[in-house]
Amino acid sequence: MIGDIFFQLSVRSVKLNFTRSILASIGIVIGVVAISAMGMLGTNMSLQVEDQLSSSANTIVITADAIRMGPPGSSSSASYISKTQLNKIKSAVGTNGTVIPLYSTTTQFTSGNVQGRGSIYGMNPDDVNEFLTIGNGTNIAGINEALIGLSLSESLGVEVGDRIKVSSASDGPPTNASSSASRATLTIAGIIDDRGTVADSVSTDNGIVVSKEWYTAQYDGKDEYTQVNVIVDDTDMIAEIEDAIDAKINTDEKKPSIRITDASSQLDTISSTLSTLTTFCLAIGGISLIVAAVSIFNVMMMSVNERVQEIGILLSIGTETGEVRRMFLYEAFILGIVGSGIGGLMSVVIGYSVVDAMIGTTEFFFMPSSIIYVPAGMVVGMVVCVISGLYPAWRASNMDPIDALRSD
Amino acid sequence: MTDTPLISLVDVTKTYHLESGDFTALNHVSLDIKENDFVAIMGPSGSGKSTMMNQLGILDVPSTGELYIDGKNVAKMSNLERTHLRRDTIGYIFQKFYLIPLLSAYENVEYPLILKYKKHDTTGRTSALLDAVGIDKEKAIHRPNQLSGGQQQRVAIARALVNDPKILLCDEPTGNLDRKTGFQIMEILCNLQKDGKTVILVTHDPKVAEYAHRTIRLDDGRIVEET
Repeated sequence: MIGDIFFQLSVRSVKLNFTRSILASIGIVIGVVAISAMGMLGTNMSLQVEDQLSSSANTIVITADAIRMGPPGSSSSASYISKTQLNKIKSAVGTNGTVIPLYSTTTQFTSGNVQGRGSIYGMNPDDVNEFLTIGNGTNIAGINEALIGLSLSESLGVEVGDRIKVSSASDGPPTNASSSASRATLTIAGIIDDRGTVADSVSTDNGIVVSKEWYTAQYDGKDEYTQVNVIVDDTDMIAEIEDAIDAKINTDEKKPSIRITDASSQLDTISSTLSTLTTFCLAIGGISLIVAAVSIFNVMMMSVNERVQEIGILLSIGTETGEVRRMFLYEAFILGIVGSGIGGLMSVVIGYSVVDAMIGTTEFFFMPSSIIYVPAGMVVGMVVCVISGLYPAWRASNMDPIDALRSD
Repeated sequence: MTDTPLISLVDVTKTYHLESGDFTALNHVSLDIKENDFVAIMGPSGSGKSTMMNQLGILDVPSTGELYIDGKNVAKMSNLERTHLRRDTIGYIFQKFYLIPLLSAYENVEYPLILKYKKHDTTGRTSALLDAVGIDKEKAIHRPNQLSGGQQQRVAIARALVNDPKILLCDEPTGNLDRKTGFQIMEILCNLQKDGKTVILVTHDPKVAEYAHRTIRLDDGRIVEET
């Protein structure tokens, strides 16, 4: 192609109108950067969420299907999972997984002069190692011991062996707290590694874990579980176990008493939301490419109109119409190559910066599903350019050589 | 050489459909031009000279009648076939030179060869022709706008000759040149005719027409005199 006389003519035409050509290409640069960066941002968000949720992909989360109407406390159905329901869940799961009942609420923590707010989970200490990782220290051994999330430990400035005070007044149900235990003290036995976004609704990063006995003594509500997590042995059985639990407990289809979710359903919801967001952002990028296409079309029409006599010469001395067409398509292609090339390079730099700034990690940036947006954006940019050049090229090649020669 | 005419117009009429009504630029013209002829076409403005040149150059086709070039009926050819016949059989020399502004003198001459053979000239023909018309290597790398009118016309002649066409169509070839340069250009055309080319030139200038062996006068789209 480079040795082709028509390509050389196109290159010279672009050079002759350098400023005009560069300005038109800038539109393509912006368009390519827009769609590539937006695409990469959306994909990186999805990949990060997917990665975090995959750690709890084997977990089914069961919560009470409470529909709150009116003032707090006046729920139309139970806001907890009862012991009877828990037994039914255990029966449905059988030997296919581990059932972990959990109490939880949010409350205030104090360490010295530092105060913090977060979640408090009550559970059987034996269940801790099923899904939590203690990075420092040991599991809960005594009744007044607790595990603390890494983020909360850092914000409160506590380490293993330190003590924290916990307000007995919870922010959420159950609310029957004993006023006598207004500030109970707990000793930190261990620190739980950060979990990030998880699908099992146990966000310990900014919370603490205590034994179920301490929790119910502090907040009451014995056998009124906030949620029940089922860690299944084989993820292929998740649907089957969910159906079994549903069949045993949600006997009234019109008024289900529990809600059953898992990582895949959460992932679907989040992915769908992110996908919509990404599509919207890509559409905005697409609009900038349409503007760029109009600009390229305009430049190409100017090129054709300025070279009418030259086209007449080419046709009169035996140039085929297809060769004239090719010459102008080359010109559009050159504008596309320049715009897409610069746009591709800038996409990597800008995309990297945007992903780093908005997601906080570039761990997934160079993964194929993310970086593919750069060549994809470049190809789209080039295709847009060539499409914009189609009509001008067709017009040039279909000129009457006699009329074209006469024009001055 | 055979007695069969190289160019034959048989009762050719060319009518343009204008908003103001039909305009007949060529009216039942019949003409034979044999190989190696030197023909001058003369006539006042609007007499049909340019239309005749467009027909002979296969840039246009007759409305009625038939036009044969090198034995081929032009009206029955496809656009692509006409383009190839024009490229291979006819060399154009225009009053305004009409060189391609983005190409150097050398590239302008080489261009028809590339069109025909789809590759750059490796035979040295381009350089030889430029040398023959008096364009040295230093001038050959210049773009048309860096050359004088006479030099541009010499390049145009070299370009017209590069595919070794049988016919040279010259539209006022000296019209934009001074007398001396015009004389030199006519000398080149005479020599080309002596070397076997068929030269057809359109001119207003009787002195230029004197170089031709036949003169055809047109008026109102008809041949009114042939000497």
